Amino acid sequence: MKDSYTLKSLAVLLENNKISSKEVTSEYLKNIKNGKELNCYNTISQEKALIDAEKSDERRKSQNLRSKYDGIPIGIKDLFCTKGVTTTASSKILSNFIPNYESTVTQNCDDAGLISLGKLNCDEFAMGSTNKTSFFGSVKNPWKSVNSDNELVPGGSSGGSAAAVSSDLCVASLGTDTGGSIRQPASFTGTVGLKPSYGRVSRWGIVAFASSLDQAGPITKTVEDAAILLDIISGHDEKDSTSSVNPKENYYENLNSDIKGMKIGIPKEFRSDKLPVSTQNSWDECANLLKNNGAEIVDISLPHTMSALPAYYIIAPAEASSNLARYDGVRYGLRVKGNDLIDMYEKTRSEGFGDEVKRRILIGTYVLSSGYYDAYYIKAQKIRSLIKSDYVEAFKKVDAILTPSTPSTAFEIANEPSDPVQNYLNDIFTVPVNLAGLPGISIPFANDENNLPIGLQLITNSFEEQKLLNVARNIEETINYSETPEKWWLK
Amino acid sequence: MEFDKKSLLKLGKLARISISDDKLNNLSTDLNSILEFVDQLKDIKTDQVDPTSNSLNQKLEVRDDKVDTKNSAEDILENAPEKEMDFFVVPKVIE
Repeated sequence: MKDSYTLKSLAVLLENNKISSKEVTSEYLKNIKNGKELNCYNTISQEKALIDAEKSDERRKSQNLRSKYDGIPIGIKDLFCTKGVTTTASSKILSNFIPNYESTVTQNCDDAGLISLGKLNCDEFAMGSTNKTSFFGSVKNPWKSVNSDNELVPGGSSGGSAAAVSSDLCVASLGTDTGGSIRQPASFTGTVGLKPSYGRVSRWGIVAFASSLDQAGPITKTVEDAAILLDIISGHDEKDSTSSVNPKENYYENLNSDIKGMKIGIPKEFRSDKLPVSTQNSWDECANLLKNNGAEIVDISLPHTMSALPAYYIIAPAEASSNLARYDGVRYGLRVKGNDLIDMYEKTRSEGFGDEVKRRILIGTYVLSSGYYDAYYIKAQKIRSLIKSDYVEAFKKVDAILTPSTPSTAFEIANEPSDPVQNYLNDIFTVPVNLAGLPGISIPFANDENNLPIGLQLITNSFEEQKLLNVARNIEETINYSETPEKWWLK
Repeated sequence: MEFDKKSLLKLGKLARISISDDKLNNLSTDLNSILEFVDQLKDIKTDQVDPTSNSLNQKLEVRDDKVDTKNSAEDILENAPEKEMDFFVVPKVIE
């Protein structure tokens, strides 16, 4: 493929009949085949994608388009239920599950004429930050360090979604973010990852992990594409009782990179001696850039930041243990025979779930159990209130907050720490945003000394996605980050 | 030290996950490490704080009471590992 396509650029090419949906879909299916080594896709919808592309081309001929983006192929995290297409959540327990319904988000994409190339690999039930917990094996980061040929993690849990965009195995993709699962892999792969406000995008038909934190969002090559895809997937859905009734905006149409007079907060609690120098430098440079572009930089404090991660590792497992109780071998998914009903449940769940999922179910069961509920679960929910009020106070003073997205750039697959808590620290900058229900975006800013992408995170107040995208667009326009990974898998 | 062999097996029973003997040691180390990590919250004063269960300040909407024909028995049973007529089949519960 000559150029990297975006939603925006392809819409123009399709409109001017420079390329057909079938051609571009075939091109991406070829890329997917050539990029098999990256292990981005759990399921490739070859036949269906080509049929859908032909239908799109027919709609274009008869001037009956579903949207400007009709016919553009995207990838879908294997956590969204898709009618007639296997949906596994990268778990053995759902490895044979073919939903007979469509998630609202993927239905919205279909209604806009987007073509699904298939289902993208992720951490099992979206629990992980490296994509290593997937039953179908790790996804490989398209990026490699200049100093080593070793394979790197793409981040997680939406590792396949981020790696596929970065390596041109789809134009854009859908991910989900419970504690950083869109922003962290976006940061590790040099892509743009947007987690919308809690309630902005319907959760209906998404395999549930932690229902009070889960949000779906786009992973794209550009901020403009993130706005385009958010326009397509967001909005109220009566099938999700926590979906917001706030009217959505036309994010792409209203994209305005003028930030003059805006106040950007730099939270002191995110500073750390352990932060790599290159990440710290990027953070400082970005603040300077925003200042030069007319914003005012304000030092702020989010005093409960360090409590967010431990609170998250009570709340998320608690909700997961409830949500995952449904996998019992009775109604769908794997069943392992047992001597009686209880034995069947226990064997099914023991064989069907991987180690990290089991750990979280067990911790969740513990913190919800009699005698510990108040000390852990209620305590964590109170901490959540403190974190939320930190941000309420901060947004009285500033329009947006700028932080690094991750405490490091991508690391080697082989170097993943064996202690789960060490792994959890990957999400230290992203988790507070989920607990407070805010929108956050990770954008690539520069590459470090090993030529690995550094992502920076912007955060705004709830339902201020427009402002978030505007500031992100300002940075993107100014730095014009255009690094792409060398395609070693083609050799 | 919260998670020893006995308490882990009890937790496994509560969560309906059987834990084999060879997994007990690692699991105990991992869960104790997680517990130690979250225990740091104990030092934070929260007596005067109300819990937040959900960040969205929105009243739950009541939907219209309309009849629709989605979710037929056939659809619901489509992915069942074992079924008979319009029922899920499970191992015998009553002797």
